[in-house]
Amino acid sequence: MIEYIVRRLIFGIFVLFIMTTFIFIIMRAVPGDVVTLQLANSGASAEQMEALKVEMGLDKSVLGQLVDWGTNAIQGDLGKSLWSGHQVSQIILERLPVTIQLAIMSIILAIIIGIPIGVISAVKQNTFIDHFLKVISIGGLSIPNFWLGLILLTVLSLALNWIPPLGYQSFAENPIVNLQQMFLPAICLAITLSASIVRMTRSAVLEVLHSEFIRTVRAKGAKEGIVIFKHALRNSLVSVITLIGLQVGYLLGGTVVLESIFALPGLGSLIFESVLVRDYPIVQSTVLVFGAMFLLVNLIVDVMYGWVDPRIRAK
Amino acid sequence: MSQVQLDSELPKERISAGKNLHLKKFKEDCKRFIYTQKIGFVSLLIILIVVAVAIIAPIIAPFDPISQDRAAFLAAPSADHIMGTDDLGRDVFSRLVYGSRISLLVGIATVVISIFLGTMIGMISGYFGGIVDMIIQRIMDAIMSIPALILALFIAALLGPAIQNVIIALVIIEVPRFARIVRGEMLRIRESNYVEASRSVGAGSFRIILKHGLPNMMAPIIVMASLAFGQTIIAEASLSFLGIGTPPPNPSWGLMLSDASRYMESAPWLVLFPGLALSILVLAFNLFGDALRDFLDPKMS
Repeated sequence: MIEYIVRRLIFGIFVLFIMTTFIFIIMRAVPGDVVTLQLANSGASAEQMEALKVEMGLDKSVLGQLVDWGTNAIQGDLGKSLWSGHQVSQIILERLPVTIQLAIMSIILAIIIGIPIGVISAVKQNTFIDHFLKVISIGGLSIPNFWLGLILLTVLSLALNWIPPLGYQSFAENPIVNLQQMFLPAICLAITLSASIVRMTRSAVLEVLHSEFIRTVRAKGAKEGIVIFKHALRNSLVSVITLIGLQVGYLLGGTVVLESIFALPGLGSLIFESVLVRDYPIVQSTVLVFGAMFLLVNLIVDVMYGWVDPRIRAK
Repeated sequence: MSQVQLDSELPKERISAGKNLHLKKFKEDCKRFIYTQKIGFVSLLIILIVVAVAIIAPIIAPFDPISQDRAAFLAAPSADHIMGTDDLGRDVFSRLVYGSRISLLVGIATVVISIFLGTMIGMISGYFGGIVDMIIQRIMDAIMSIPALILALFIAALLGPAIQNVIIALVIIEVPRFARIVRGEMLRIRESNYVEASRSVGAGSFRIILKHGLPNMMAPIIVMASLAFGQTIIAEASLSFLGIGTPPPNPSWGLMLSDASRYMESAPWLVLFPGLALSILVLAFNLFGDALRDFLDPKMS
């Protein structure tokens, strides 16, 4: 197991390396750079621009910059913001908890919504209820989450005269305000996510229900509730966990738009703001963090398989 | 000698009957699809209606989608403007009608280009295997480990707001997904008996890829394309909503929602209609893709 994890981690670092190179090259190949942006209205001379470039280390070749940044990054130094001058690692650490909290709340809400609906669909297979729930769940998948956010905000402000408290506060500072601010964006992400959980739970439960051991369980006279919840649902959890691993990419992408609607200072809004002003170190590091989160969650998911399903562990 | 005779003896009617057989089979498939996949058929109709609306937009739209009418800004829905007007007095219904062109254009362009590039990359990767496959797959892995919308945002923001830049950004996201499916199919097909057989009679790699590879992976590609349409349309709207997609004054649905978000309390109808149009179109593509999957591959449902 340890060997497997180590192998996956090495593979992950390799993928992250290619990814960073990719981002690095694209960002510098595209017209428009940070020096021109910063000195756009100051009437700075060509020498001053050159001097600023040297100061930021942007006078070197792309490869040289990549090597510089890479060697520092391996030692834990992600550089400084080209605009504010703050340490990039500091900025990311401030913003990371917001995005992680949003992602975790969304996953929990999605499971609470998705699994029961999926089980009902499976039990009522091919009835009107099943078809209805199918359209509803694919509907959930089709609604753009930012529109859902706008609609929720509009309805709440018009009908209840309530909008989430302004100015972000962390859970540690003020749990009630924090939850009020996080709940709406989390539910928007959760609805899309739960749609795929419904589909996955349904097909997984159906598959288990048609297997032989369930026939045995029924034959010994177990109640239908026990058949479904204790045996069928438990055995279908593996596929649901896989799905969550696959959906992490969607989840992290969705945070960008929702953080911008709900004015949450997370990683998504950070990368959006930074790429617009070409703050290279922040963008590179944030993409790296997103990629690392994605790979890490998928590794955890793969390790959890063995824990949930002893048959896989044995292989 | 006997081979030549056989060919020449084949009556012309038989050859044309062969072509008709294809057409007949297609017709039967369509009938079976309509009969077994009712939800899918309704979705297809909705998609066709939206396509028709996009084509004849100038006939349907009562007003110009871009011309402003300062006298009638933020007007509520009425007989004149059935979906009201926006903050610059532009007719929301007309903008919605023209907006379907942008959604469909971005969707079609992205999906067609992605299928083309993804299929090429996937087939090369799957057919040759070995080191070529390894390098291509690691690059695809790297692209896919960045959350899709974040990669799109990154590329679109760097390139600047323009429709073609949105398409470039979305193609970069979709290509690895198609490439991976095609590669998987290619690996499966490469091991199959009929490819073995054509190799044994001396068919070259190129011929095998085109003649046996492509036709045998059409089903998964078509299903994937239908689902990719929906995702692409949402992604375009999201980018435009953030102000880095389709530039104003184009009537993109995402851009309309972005404008509307500033008037949520005074003009809530502005938030309603573009999102509804977006959801219905994406829902139709998703349901159609789902139905196609059930239809083409009954094992999966």
